Amino acid sequence: MMVKKSLMSLALAAGLTTLGAGAASADVLFWSTQGNTVEESQAMRDQVLAGFESGADFQPSDTGPWITRIEAELQAGSGKIGVLGSLHGSLISLGDGLADLSDVNTDGVNSTFLELGKLGTDQQKYIPWMQATYIMAANKKALEHLPEGADVMALSYDQLIEWAKNMADATGSPKFGFPAGPKGLKHRFFQGYLYPSYTNSMVSKFRSPEAEEAWNKFKELWSYTNPGSTNFSFMQEPLLTEEVWVAFDHTARLADAFNQRPDDFIGFPAPAGPTGRGFMPVVVGMAVPSSAPDMAQAKELIAYLSQPETQIATLKATNFFPVVDVELPDDMPAAVKLSGAAIAAMSGAADANPGLLPVGLGDLGGKFNAVYVDSFERIVLAGQDVRAVLDDQADTLRKLMEEAGAPCWAPDADSEGACPVE
Amino acid sequence: MSTAAKMATGNVTGKSAWHKYVFTGAVILLCLWVLVPIYLLLVNTFSSPEDVSGFPKSFIPNIDTGSVEFFLNYAGVGQALWSSIKVATVTMILSIMAGAPAGYALSRFEFRGKETFRVLVLMTRAFPLPLLALPLAVMYLRIGLDDTVLGLALVHTMLALPFAVLITFSLFSGIPVELEEAAWTLGCNRFQAFVKVILPLVLPGITASAIFAFVISWNEVFAAAVLTIENRTLPAFLLQGLGNAPLHLKFAGGAVLVLPALLFIFLVRKYLFSMWGIANR
Repeated sequence: MMVKKSLMSLALAAGLTTLGAGAASADVLFWSTQGNTVEESQAMRDQVLAGFESGADFQPSDTGPWITRIEAELQAGSGKIGVLGSLHGSLISLGDGLADLSDVNTDGVNSTFLELGKLGTDQQKYIPWMQATYIMAANKKALEHLPEGADVMALSYDQLIEWAKNMADATGSPKFGFPAGPKGLKHRFFQGYLYPSYTNSMVSKFRSPEAEEAWNKFKELWSYTNPGSTNFSFMQEPLLTEEVWVAFDHTARLADAFNQRPDDFIGFPAPAGPTGRGFMPVVVGMAVPSSAPDMAQAKELIAYLSQPETQIATLKATNFFPVVDVELPDDMPAAVKLSGAAIAAMSGAADANPGLLPVGLGDLGGKFNAVYVDSFERIVLAGQDVRAVLDDQADTLRKLMEEAGAPCWAPDADSEGACPVE
Repeated sequence: MSTAAKMATGNVTGKSAWHKYVFTGAVILLCLWVLVPIYLLLVNTFSSPEDVSGFPKSFIPNIDTGSVEFFLNYAGVGQALWSSIKVATVTMILSIMAGAPAGYALSRFEFRGKETFRVLVLMTRAFPLPLLALPLAVMYLRIGLDDTVLGLALVHTMLALPFAVLITFSLFSGIPVELEEAAWTLGCNRFQAFVKVILPLVLPGITASAIFAFVISWNEVFAAAVLTIENRTLPAFLLQGLGNAPLHLKFAGGAVLVLPALLFIFLVRKYLFSMWGIANR
C-alpha cells in the first residue's frame, strides 16, 4: 500500500495526472539493454515493475537489435516502445529522437549524472536510472600471497604485479584474471583505470612517456595473468571455478561469485598509480523516444523508477546501484555488500581519481573503444613496440576526436574545441 | 586371407576381425561425439549452481531441479515456444509453396534468364540480416506487419527459400522426364501427371526440405529480436539473456532450447534420412 500511495503522490507531484487514461491503455514497453540476463529480467518484472500501477512490460535485448529496433520506430514515427533503458553511450547516438524529460520530477537524483543526461543540449534527454563501476575481486586464498606491507584496500599497481607474481610462483599457474575476451570490458580498464592512474588523462596524454610506462607496467602484469583471459568475458565464472583468484571486472559481472560464495571472496578497490586511483563510474539512463505510444505514461514509469524504494528493488534485481540518495537497508544480497564496500573505499580514497565515460562522441564511441583495444592487442598480445603503437594509435584517436569535435572530459582538463591528443 | 579372397570364397560377412573393430570403433566414437555433450548439458542442467562450477565433477549428478524450475516459471517461455512453432510452421509452408514450383520450373523448363534466376535466388543470402533489419522494420511498422507471426515468417521464408528451391530442383531433376511423358501418353494432363506420378516420388524429399526450412526459422535470432516484441520466438527470447547469464542457467537454458529441436528431429528423422537417399533403398 505504501508503494501505491507514494506512487500516487509522486505522479501528482510531477503533474502527470493521467492515471485514468494510463490504466485504460496497454502496458508501457520498457526496452532495455541492461538487466538482460534471464535472472535479472525475471527479477525486474517480479520485483521492480510489478509495483507500477498502470503496468509495464520489461523486454531486454542485446545492443544490436536494441538500437536497430528503436531506430526503426523513430524512422517510422510510431512504435511500441515507451521507455528506453541503456548506457549513456548508446543513448547519445539517439540524441535527436529522445523527448525532453525536463518536466519529470528529479528530486534527489545525482546532479552530475543529470547533467550528463542533457547530452550537451538544454533539454533533459535522459534521466539517470542506475549506476555501477568496475572493481577488483579476490578469492580469500589469494590474500596470504599479498606482498609484505600491502593493504588490499589500498593497493598500488606495483603491489598488484608483485602479488600476481607471488601467486604464480606459489601455485605454479598464473592466478590473476583479466576480462580480455570478446565480450569482456577490457577497454574500460585502459580508459578509466590504467590511463588516469598513470597520466591523469584518458585522451590528451595518450602517447605521453607516462602512458608508455603504464603500458609497460601492464605488460609486466600480463606475464603473470592467466592466459585463458583472452576468453574471459565475465570474471565471475573463472573466479567460481578458481581458475583465477584475483580479477578486475564490472560489479554486475562479479555479482554471481559474491552471491554464490560470499564467505570465499572479497571485493576491493582498483589499484593506484603515480597520478592517483583511477576509476570509472558507469551510468545507465532512462529515456522516452519521440515515437512513444503514450508519452505521459512513459514519463510516469520513469518517475516511478526514480523513487528510492524502486531504486533499492532495482539494486537487488540487477546489482546496479541507485542514482538517488537512499539509505541501503541491511537485507542486501552479498554482492551488494561486498562490492559496496569496495566502491566506498575506492571513491572515498584520498587519491581517488574518477574519470567519466566518453562524453560527446556520439556514434563514434565504438571507434574510440577500438583505439584502446587495438593498442592492447598490438602491445600486449602481439608484443609490438610500445612507442610505435602509441604514436600510430594516437593519430587515429586525434582524427576521431576532431571528427566528433568533443571537448575533454574528466580526468582530462577542459579544452576549447575538440580534446587535443598531445 | 585377404578380404577379397574371403568374399570370393563366399564368406557372407566378408569382413576381417580388424575391419569389424574399426567399424564398431567408429560407430562408438561418432555416438560419443554426439551424446557426450548432450549428456554433460543434461548433467549440469540438473545440478546445483555450486556443483556446476565445482571440480572435479561427479559422473552422476545430485539431482537439483532449481535451474530447470527457474525456466519453467520464467514468464513468457511457454508463449515464446508457441510463437516459435507458429512462425516455423508458416515459414515451412510458405517456403515449400514458393520453392517447390520454382524448383520444378528450373528443372523442367528452358526459359530466358534461367541462370540469372538461379543466382538471384542465392543472392537473398548475400545480404547480412543486421543490414536488412532496419529498413524492414521501418516498413513493417508502417504497413502493420510489425510484431506479427506472418511478418517474421516472411523474413524467414526469404532465408529458407534458396535451400527450398535448390533442394527441390535437384529432386525433380533426379526424376526422368520420361515418367511424366509416359503419363501424358496414357491420358493424364500435365497437372495430373505431376500429382499422380511425380509427387509421390518427391514427397519424402520435399518433406525434408520443409524440415530444413523449419530448422532455419527455429534458429534465427536477429530478425526475430528486431521485428517482434510481444510475439518473440524462443531463441530471440532466451538466447540473448543466456549469453550473459551465470553458468548453471546457461546449461539449463541450453537444455530448454535443445530439447524441442531434438524431439522434433527424432519425430521426423525418417524424412531427413530420405533427403540423403537412405530410406529409398
